[in-house]
Amino acid sequence: MRRRQAIAEGKHLPKSLPAIQQYGLAVLSVALALVLSLLLNRYGFQGLADLLFVLAIAITSWYADPGPALLALVSSFLIDDYFFIQPIYSFSMTSEDIPHFLVFALFASLVTRFAAVRRRVERDLLQSGDELEKEVAERTQQASLLNLTHDSIFVRDMDFAITYWNRGAQELYGWTPEEATGKRSNELLHTIFPAPLDEIHVELLRAGRWEGELTHTKADGNVVVVSSRWSLRRDDQQRPIAILETNNDITERKRREQDISTLNEELGKRTAELEASNKELEAFAYSISHDLRAPLRHMSGFTQLLRKNAGSVLNEKSQRYVTMIMESAQRMGSLIDDLLAFSRIGRAETRHTSVSLEQLAQEAVTEIRQDTGGRDIVWRVGALPAVYGDRSMLRLAFVNLIANAVKFTRTRAQAEIEIGCTGDQSPNQVVVFVRDNGVGFNMKYVNKLFGVFQRLHPAEAFEGTGIGLATVQRIVHRHGGRVWAEGLVDQGATFFFSLSSSHRKESKV
Amino acid sequence: MSTLGRILMVEDDPKDVELTLTALEEYNLANEVVVTRDGEEALDYLYCRGNFSTRPNDNPAVILLDLKLQKVHGLEVLEQVKSDEKLRMIPVVVLTSSREEIDMVASYKLGVNAYVVKPVDFHEFVNAIKELGVFWAVINEPPPGSAKKN
Repeated sequence: MRRRQAIAEGKHLPKSLPAIQQYGLAVLSVALALVLSLLLNRYGFQGLADLLFVLAIAITSWYADPGPALLALVSSFLIDDYFFIQPIYSFSMTSEDIPHFLVFALFASLVTRFAAVRRRVERDLLQSGDELEKEVAERTQQASLLNLTHDSIFVRDMDFAITYWNRGAQELYGWTPEEATGKRSNELLHTIFPAPLDEIHVELLRAGRWEGELTHTKADGNVVVVSSRWSLRRDDQQRPIAILETNNDITERKRREQDISTLNEELGKRTAELEASNKELEAFAYSISHDLRAPLRHMSGFTQLLRKNAGSVLNEKSQRYVTMIMESAQRMGSLIDDLLAFSRIGRAETRHTSVSLEQLAQEAVTEIRQDTGGRDIVWRVGALPAVYGDRSMLRLAFVNLIANAVKFTRTRAQAEIEIGCTGDQSPNQVVVFVRDNGVGFNMKYVNKLFGVFQRLHPAEAFEGTGIGLATVQRIVHRHGGRVWAEGLVDQGATFFFSLSSSHRKESKV
Repeated sequence: MSTLGRILMVEDDPKDVELTLTALEEYNLANEVVVTRDGEEALDYLYCRGNFSTRPNDNPAVILLDLKLQKVHGLEVLEQVKSDEKLRMIPVVVLTSSREEIDMVASYKLGVNAYVVKPVDFHEFVNAIKELGVFWAVINEPPPGSAKKN
C-alpha cells in the first residue's frame, strides 16, 4: 500500500519544476523573446516584439507557478518599453503608448490566468486520480483478505441479491462467486429462518446486527446448520443498503450436542430407574427387618415358655422337637441379620479416603486373635500398599477373609495364615491375598464360594450362614475390583482380591 | 424396691405384648403396666382424653415405644412427646424389631432416651425387658409428676 502511494505521488513530481528552474525558465523565455525581437527588428520585421513577449509569458505561465509568470510579465513589460517603445533605450513613455500597454497587459494577464486555471485543473485531476487508485487498491486488498478467512462471508443488498461472495462461501456452499453474485441468497440457499423474517429485520434495523442459527441447502443438496451473524451497512443518509452475512458451519457440533443430550436423557432415565430400585430395595430390607423378625421372636419365645410350663410332661422326643424349633428360629434370626447386613453394604454410601491396607490387615488380625483362645496360629502379614477406598468396608472384607481362614484351619495342629500382596501385579492394580493351610475346597465348586448362603462344608463341621465371602465380593466390587480363590481339598485355600488402578492413582492426589 | 414407676407400653402386636408382660411378670414388674395398641391410643393416654379421660393426671415413669404402629407411627408419638412442655421429661425407650440405622438416627434426633432392638432369642429378650423394667421403673428416679406405686 505504501509503495503504491509513493508511486502515485511520484507521478506528478516532474510537472512541478524546482523554483530555481521555474525562474530560470521565466528569464530564459523572456531573454529569448528579446533576442528574437532584436534580430527581427534588424531585418525590418517590426511590431512582432509584443507577440513574442506574450508567447514567453504564456510558456512561463504554462510550465511555472504564478511567481515566475509574474516575473516574466513584469520583465517583458519593462524590456518591451526599453527596447521597442519610443523613445528607445529609455523607460519613459508617452500617453499614446498607454492603450498599447493596456492591451499588452490585459492579454498577458489573460494568458497567465488561463495557464494558472489549467494547472489547477490538471493538479486536481491528478490528485483525484491518485485517490481513486488508492481506494481501488485498498478495496482489492480487503476483498482478498476476506477470501483468506475460513468463515463463509457474503454481502447482499436489502432485497437479498448477493453482491459479494468470498472463497469461504464457495467452499461451504459449492457455488463460485460468479454463480452466486446477483442471485437472491434466501432462494439460492433455501434458508430456513429460526424466527419470522419480519422480526429478524426489526432486530437488525434496531441493533444494526443479528445473530442466529440458520439452515441452508448446499449446491450438492446437503443441508447444513450455520451459526449466522449479520451486520447492517448504511449509507451517508443512514439508509440501510447492504447486509454482511458471516456463516459458520455448526452441523457437526449440533449433531454432537444432539447425541450428548440423547445420552444424558438416557443416563437420567437409568439413574432414575436405579434410584427407584434402590428405594424399593431399601423398603424391602426395612420391611424384612421389622416384620420378619417379629414372628421369629414369637416362635422362639413361646416355644421357650412352652418348655418352661410343660417341660415336665413332655417326653424326651418332644423335648428334642422343642429344642429344634428353637434352634431353627435362632438360625433364621441369624440368616435375616446377615442378609440385612449384606444388603446394607450394597446400599450404604461409600466414603473414599486413602487407606493403608497393611494397617487394616493388622487391625483385623488383632480383632480376630482375641477369639482364637489357645490355638496355635502362625501369622504372617506382608507389606501392603495404601489404596483409595472406604475404610470400614475394606476392613470388613479383611475381617471376613481372616475369620474364614481361622475357622477352616481349626482342624490343624498349627495353623498358618498369611496376608500379602502378589508380586506380579501390574502397575494398574493391587492384588491382595489371604492364604491358609486349612481344609481347602474342591476347585469344582469355586464358583459357588462367593454366593449368598452358599456353603461347601456341613454346618456341623463349620458354623456360619455363608454370607462372609459374598460380603467380601460385594465390597470389592463396589471398589471396582474382583475376587477369586484357589484351593485344594485338605491343602489349604488362598483368597485373592484386586483393587483397580484408578483407586490407587486417586490416592496420590 | 419400695417404689415402682408406671410403665406405658405402646405395642400393636398382641404376641409381643404377651411376651413382654410375661418377661416383666417374671420379675414382678408387670403390675403397673399400661398397654396401648397404637400411636393414637398412646397419645390419648398421655393427654388423658378418649378412653383415658378419667384417669389421674400424672405421667408414666417410662414409655416403651414400638416404632411400627397403626394410625400414628412411633416416631410421630416420640416427636409429639418430646415437643410437649408437659410430656418431654418422660423417659422414652424405643423397643423395636428394627436395627435399621435410619430408625435409630431418627429416634435419637428426636431425643429418645434409649433404643433397644428386641432380641430374637427369648432368654435375651427376657433379660432385656427385665433390665429395662428394673432400670427405668425402679432404679431411675423419674421426673416429678410421675405416677408411682408404693
